[in-house]
Amino acid sequence: MPSTLTIPWGNADWNAILPLGVVALTPLLVILADLLLPRSLRRSVVLALAALGLIYAGFLAARGWGHPYSAFGGGFVTGGFTIVFQEIVIAGALFSLLLATHLGRDDQAGGAVALLLWSASGAMLMAGAANLMTIFLGLELLSLALYCLCGLAARPSAREAALKYLILSSTASGFMLYGMALLFGATGSVQLSAFAAPAASPMLFTLGSGLFLIGFVFKLSLAPFHIWTPDVYEGAPLPVTAFMSVVTKAGALAVLARFAYAALPQANAQAILVPLWIVAALSMIVGNVGALAQTDVKRLLAYSGTAQLGYVVAALAGTTSLGLRYAIFYLVAYMFMNLGAFAVVALLSREHEEGSHLSAYAGLGYRQPVLAALMTFFLLALAGLPPTAGFTGKLLILASSVDAGYAWLAVILIVGTAISAYAYLKIVLAMYARGAGAPLQRALHPASALPWLGVAICAIATFVLTFYPLAPSDVLPLVK
Amino acid sequence: MSNDALVLLALWLLPLASAILIFAFGPMLRRSAGVIGSGAVLVPFALTWVLAASALGTGGLKVHLFDWIAGFSFGLWLDPLSLLWTLIITGVGGLIHVYAIGYMWSDRAIARFFAYMNFFVFAMLTLVLSDNFVGLLVGWGLVGLASYFLIGFWFFKPSAVAAAMKAFVINVVGDAGLMFAVFVLFAATGSTAYADVFAKAATLAPATVLLACIAIFIGCAAKSAQIPLHTWLPDAMEGPTPVSALIHAATMVTAGVYLVARCAPLWDVSPEARALVGTIGALTALVGAILGIAQWDIKRILAYSTMSQIGYMIMGVGVGAYQAGILHFFTHAFFKAQLFLAAGIVIHALHDEQDLRKMGGLGKKMPLAFWAMTIGTLAIIGFPPFSGFFSKDAVIYGALERGYPLLSLIGVVTAGITAYYMCRMLFVTFLGNNRGNVPDVDLGIPAREHSEPHFGESAPAWVMGAPVAILMVPSVVAGWVVFGGRWNALFASDFAPKPESALATVLPEWLVGVVVLAFVAWGVAAAYHRYGSFDATVSAVERLRAESQRMAQPLVRAFYFDDALEALFVRPARAVGSAFMRVVDPHVIDGVVRDVVWLAGWIGREVRALQTGLVRGYALVLALGAAAFLAYFALIGASR
Repeated sequence: MPSTLTIPWGNADWNAILPLGVVALTPLLVILADLLLPRSLRRSVVLALAALGLIYAGFLAARGWGHPYSAFGGGFVTGGFTIVFQEIVIAGALFSLLLATHLGRDDQAGGAVALLLWSASGAMLMAGAANLMTIFLGLELLSLALYCLCGLAARPSAREAALKYLILSSTASGFMLYGMALLFGATGSVQLSAFAAPAASPMLFTLGSGLFLIGFVFKLSLAPFHIWTPDVYEGAPLPVTAFMSVVTKAGALAVLARFAYAALPQANAQAILVPLWIVAALSMIVGNVGALAQTDVKRLLAYSGTAQLGYVVAALAGTTSLGLRYAIFYLVAYMFMNLGAFAVVALLSREHEEGSHLSAYAGLGYRQPVLAALMTFFLLALAGLPPTAGFTGKLLILASSVDAGYAWLAVILIVGTAISAYAYLKIVLAMYARGAGAPLQRALHPASALPWLGVAICAIATFVLTFYPLAPSDVLPLVK
Repeated sequence: MSNDALVLLALWLLPLASAILIFAFGPMLRRSAGVIGSGAVLVPFALTWVLAASALGTGGLKVHLFDWIAGFSFGLWLDPLSLLWTLIITGVGGLIHVYAIGYMWSDRAIARFFAYMNFFVFAMLTLVLSDNFVGLLVGWGLVGLASYFLIGFWFFKPSAVAAAMKAFVINVVGDAGLMFAVFVLFAATGSTAYADVFAKAATLAPATVLLACIAIFIGCAAKSAQIPLHTWLPDAMEGPTPVSALIHAATMVTAGVYLVARCAPLWDVSPEARALVGTIGALTALVGAILGIAQWDIKRILAYSTMSQIGYMIMGVGVGAYQAGILHFFTHAFFKAQLFLAAGIVIHALHDEQDLRKMGGLGKKMPLAFWAMTIGTLAIIGFPPFSGFFSKDAVIYGALERGYPLLSLIGVVTAGITAYYMCRMLFVTFLGNNRGNVPDVDLGIPAREHSEPHFGESAPAWVMGAPVAILMVPSVVAGWVVFGGRWNALFASDFAPKPESALATVLPEWLVGVVVLAFVAWGVAAAYHRYGSFDATVSAVERLRAESQRMAQPLVRAFYFDDALEALFVRPARAVGSAFMRVVDPHVIDGVVRDVVWLAGWIGREVRALQTGLVRGYALVLALGAAAFLAYFALIGASR
């Protein structure tokens, strides 16, 4: 008797992925607009369409708050945790679009924006992915689009960056896939929720977990897996770099947190995660020391990103519920202060020349006092000085890691912070030093209203978050 | 909010508002920035008086600002201790602001200067007015930042930039210590408010309290230039003189004294912490005084004397003689500010000449500076009835009373040395004949770079003269508060009652005072013999040259503290750093890869082909990282 083929999912399942569906389908409109419209209109229409799509998806995602649902047989879960990360991804993508108003070539705008949105939809999928298949799908969707985006700029370093990223990222994906295979072999399931049961072979399970973690540690660019980051950040176009520094990280962190909190069996979770804390500690030191020597602001921000993600992962140490909330808070804070700094770099950039070399900042304090003051503010925030969200976030992370019994991480965090102050202060000093070489006379790009908007929003958010450490309390029950 | 609360809020925020205003409209304001800046400090001074009554009442004046997260709530607290500091910060600070109008008169960046100065005052007020450790930490960090900006204010001088960097580095070490202390206390008591923490002080484990005290004191030692973290203070004299007077003499460097006094409940339950802090204070007093002997730069002498005097204060509050330590802060603020401002008049008049050997005979030319310096010197060496006499005596006797006779003895000896080096400075500067035209070589001055003296129009003399003249009054009389009266209430903070040691019952306070005076008299006489007498002034050029050439090496190298720090920390850090850099920075990594490649014998000709080589290097790092990961997982997997 022939079995009837029934599709085991219905409307509720489609609703759950609607936000990311919108983000994934908007590029079709974008490409269409790019084909049909005259050259002069293309860029603005394309950007507007993409922004509208993202904002609409943001609304759709927010609507699901308080309605946890496990869609597609447990492949994708939605609810508080997923939504928070999806909103971070959407915000990060929107800010990146703001920076794209005057950078790059007009005729590339359509394709680039479409790729950016597809990449973002991959990160959104990762935010809710609850089995190994969806995780891999999300990750590859995110990465494949990024390989192309990295190579967009006309300079030779761009192609080099794209190639490096492709090769190294594939290596990491290889490790991860192998890990997934071992995990499947050990547990007989691809569902994260099935991993909590005792594995048939503990050896296979731990090895699989280790390989799996490598993939995500690579994506988070934690030391020593950060090695690709500075070159790729330097070579990629500025909006893409900004995008990578937030969206990729948010997606990878979502998977990592879900794996650490919801998948691993309680008994040996802490033992399995130890390398993660060590890698976080290494990142805080290596990232900040590496930042010291940089003369290119994009490279500096790459190293700083490594350190900042180290702080975020350190918050998870001990997998306490408070730790997860603080990690999310710090990620949000990082998004604002980091993108604020990127927006300032964008404002200093010209169509074919990015204002990321330190020399572009010499004497900026006198030529563009407001811009320099804001840049100083973002850098102080990244260094963790009050009154900025960076300070609050670090304080919370310190508190939670001490609470969870990881005082040594707290000590390393303090040391790392102290080192980072020099790295960031170097730019501040350059901006306010007079007479150090002839300052470049460079006016701001005329079409730069939108990056200014980004700078303003980031500055306000960085300041306001200092006093309101929003850390959604009902995130945790929804991790699973 | 009550009226008092609003007044407190206003006096706290006014300097910040003014700093922002001046920073924003600086180019337009020019010199009027100085007037606005001074007003923004003097008005809070007046406002502080309005609040004195409620601050001295029970529990002081508390203003709750906002709740943050559990355990962190922000508020201001004006009690006798913070009232005293606020009065000095705004009072002495205000006078120094007025003086600075004259000092910075022809500097193009005068507006920026006053913006920084006001910002500093705001930061310092935050530090002392906060009612919790987090606010303290914020203020602590911000004064460090302000100090960094102001030391490096003349950024075209490489020495100033280096000094600013050094001050910043050492202060970051201190900040880290303090931050750690706050976390220890928070972990132990669940709160960061002073009231909560101190209420539980007696119930904490002794080891926890000791750890917290030591960590706090690392912060204090860095900020207050206690050995071995003092080396930044003499270098900080690269900043403009008003900065030295305000930040590096009267206020910021005494933050450590404030903090120890504020944390008295912690020190009260930890005898080990007491002994440690008292000893460091006494040693700092001694080392600072000895190094003061060997200086030729007028501001560096004052810097070492500041370090030494703060050593006294720290010794006082460290051993538990809180009132004595605080009293010494109080009197020191006046006479040290006055000494610096008088030195500033001299330096200004001589177009940035700071070397004693090029001075001499200035007494007749600059009577105001001479008298100010004389009164300041009498006060600092503890000559009765000048203010320093009472406070220094109180510290020395306080240590004796609380059972630290050895520290007391160090204090007595230091008093003698202080008299010697301060009189040396006074005599060499103002007595004899002017040596301004004697060539450097004849005076034994090593070759030095001449910075371009900035001539410009000068301010009316009274702008710089008036604050100095006003400061003379408290320099003389401030110590008289020990006789009682209304002022005494300022020192009436709630400290534990003092225990009497056996020795103190035998030695009455007047006898100790007489011994101190004997040492002081010896110091003055020795200085007079070598620098002040007729013989000495006649042969000054030869004598000074001889002394410059024969100066003992340990003194010239400041007891090798800098060299030790360099050898212990800076050089290893640099070595580790450059080794680390090779590992960390991809541009350098190729070198490492080449090493590895060479070792393994995989040599290929195209290794030098940069790009592919880099990718291979990166992949190698990835693979090594992954191997380390897997080794760990294989281990824990096997152990299961």
